[in-house]
Amino acid sequence: MTAVPAVSAGRRPMGGQQVAVALLLPIALINVVGFMLPIFNLARYSFNRATVGGGIENVLTLQNWTGLLGDPFYLQLILNSVFVSLGVTLCALILSYPIALYLHRASGSWRTFLTVLVISPLLTSAVVRTYGWIAILAEEGPVVSAIRGMGLTPPPLMFNINGVFIGLTEILMPYMILALLAGFGRLDPRVEEAARTLGATPWQSFRRVILPLTAPGIALGCLLCFVLAVSSFITPKLMGGGRVFLLATEIYDQAIVTLNWPLASTLSILVLVIFGAALVAYSAVLKRLD
Amino acid sequence: MKNRSLAASAAVLALTAGAVQAETVVLSAYSGIFEENYRAAVVEPFMEAHPDIDVEFYGMPNSAQMLGTLRAQKSAPQIDVMILDVSVAKAATDEGLFAPLDESVTAHVADLYPQARVEGVNAVGVTFDNLVMLYNTDKVTEAPTSWEALWDPQWKGQVSIPAVPDIQGTTLTIIANRLAGGEGYMDGMEPGIAKLMELAPNVQTWEPRPDVYQPISSGTAAIGIGWNARAQVYADKSDGKLGVVLPEEGSGFQINVIGLVQDAPAGDAAKTFLDYALSPEVQARFTETMFYAPTNQKAAALVSEAALERTAAGSMDEMIPINWLEVATIRDAVTEQWRRRIIPLSR
Repeated sequence: MTAVPAVSAGRRPMGGQQVAVALLLPIALINVVGFMLPIFNLARYSFNRATVGGGIENVLTLQNWTGLLGDPFYLQLILNSVFVSLGVTLCALILSYPIALYLHRASGSWRTFLTVLVISPLLTSAVVRTYGWIAILAEEGPVVSAIRGMGLTPPPLMFNINGVFIGLTEILMPYMILALLAGFGRLDPRVEEAARTLGATPWQSFRRVILPLTAPGIALGCLLCFVLAVSSFITPKLMGGGRVFLLATEIYDQAIVTLNWPLASTLSILVLVIFGAALVAYSAVLKRLD
Repeated sequence: MKNRSLAASAAVLALTAGAVQAETVVLSAYSGIFEENYRAAVVEPFMEAHPDIDVEFYGMPNSAQMLGTLRAQKSAPQIDVMILDVSVAKAATDEGLFAPLDESVTAHVADLYPQARVEGVNAVGVTFDNLVMLYNTDKVTEAPTSWEALWDPQWKGQVSIPAVPDIQGTTLTIIANRLAGGEGYMDGMEPGIAKLMELAPNVQTWEPRPDVYQPISSGTAAIGIGWNARAQVYADKSDGKLGVVLPEEGSGFQINVIGLVQDAPAGDAAKTFLDYALSPEVQARFTETMFYAPTNQKAAALVSEAALERTAAGSMDEMIPINWLEVATIRDAVTEQWRRRIIPLSR
């Protein structure tokens, strides 16, 4: 008796599986050809030897990897990239969270208007926005003039790490806000009201109710911003003044200027490893939240 | 009526047949302002002179991308002729991407300056450019004459220098090495590095964007370095804001070479174009248009005095001889010195 339903139960998922395979096949193929093969190629380059002047010698060597990990400049560069990206992510989170919370609570056409306002920077290229920041933070720009007007000595804001930090934070904020909003689904206004009517102070209700309920959104936003920050190179290139050495800018220099493709590939694979670590951390956080 | 339309369609057929028969040469070189001027001064006159050959200009922003494209197309090339930086051409030659090029391809090769022919590169010089000093005429009212002007403390935070690995930074290192009394660049760069460490506090940015010319034209920076040809063209467009000077201590060349892509489809038509591009008349015309110094020794005599003065063609002897293939061997070491000792000294 028990064998019959087992067979039919076994058959049904089989059919479902076949459909699933058929549906997944096209995207899997595109991914293999358009993503996996190039990544594999990149990994292969990282074991080739760069010759003087930009050539590539097709040999198998660990030279790029040992050279990279034994060079204090590159170790510093990797740490710089990770810390700057973490810092930018944290700043973007602190600045975006209240905006996202307000947006989540707003309603009707007001909410639509505000959402459009938040998304609109994404419709402008990061290059244009970065040039905007250059004009604002430059030596003769409004910010420096305002600080001088107050009788203070302004810190150098442009062509150094400060500029990169400010620019990246603003550029990543829309992504953070959207990710937070997407993760705010569990936040029901009635739960907050319940907390308040039961005598919680605004801080207690934030700390014990709102924050835990919005944590998945925070995790998602941080993952997204961190990954985007590590890989962004336009803003550091334009605002760093050649003083800020990060992974993404170094990959550009090695690939385009020095023509050391093996080293550029090694650095690129390293970035992928960092992304992998970020994903692992993200899923660990999600698991703990559940 | 019927006859006429028949004749017309016959004519159209003949025309299209002619168009199909016309050979196409795909030329790849720098996009942007170079493309604009090279089309006007070389490509279009060539097509007028050779109605049976069509030249397609495929612009790319830099030599690295050109090398990447050649590598990708190695088994089935689609580019016939390429103009790119000499050191990248060396890498391409080593990988078998350029066909041999000598007097048998074009007789003009024999008339080129010795600097235009580099051993081990299957391509020959087509333009000479040189490093110059740029200044904003509102801020720097008296035209500087020496490279030392970059070190002047009054320009603190106002100097714009593209750092190594950009070869403008490399060329400046070689010049600074000479200013500081160093021997040849292959005998050690220490004097030049020490000299540049003194320059560092003056530097506003080591990464001028979008290029070196705009921030100085607009007055964001007061003084800096750049390549002559582009600087001259932008100076004309800047309403007199951008000043360009070839300092009295001389300068160094950047060399763009032209080469035939290995196994390129165009064959002899590509050689015809290459021959044209290296001829004295065409070299002179491009110098008049974009102020690159000609690589053909017979061209200088055909260039107007006014244009000649704005290039290095009149002062070839004052140029510091730089063998870019030798420099490539010390490039990593120089880059390391810049990153560890020079750049950290600027705020």
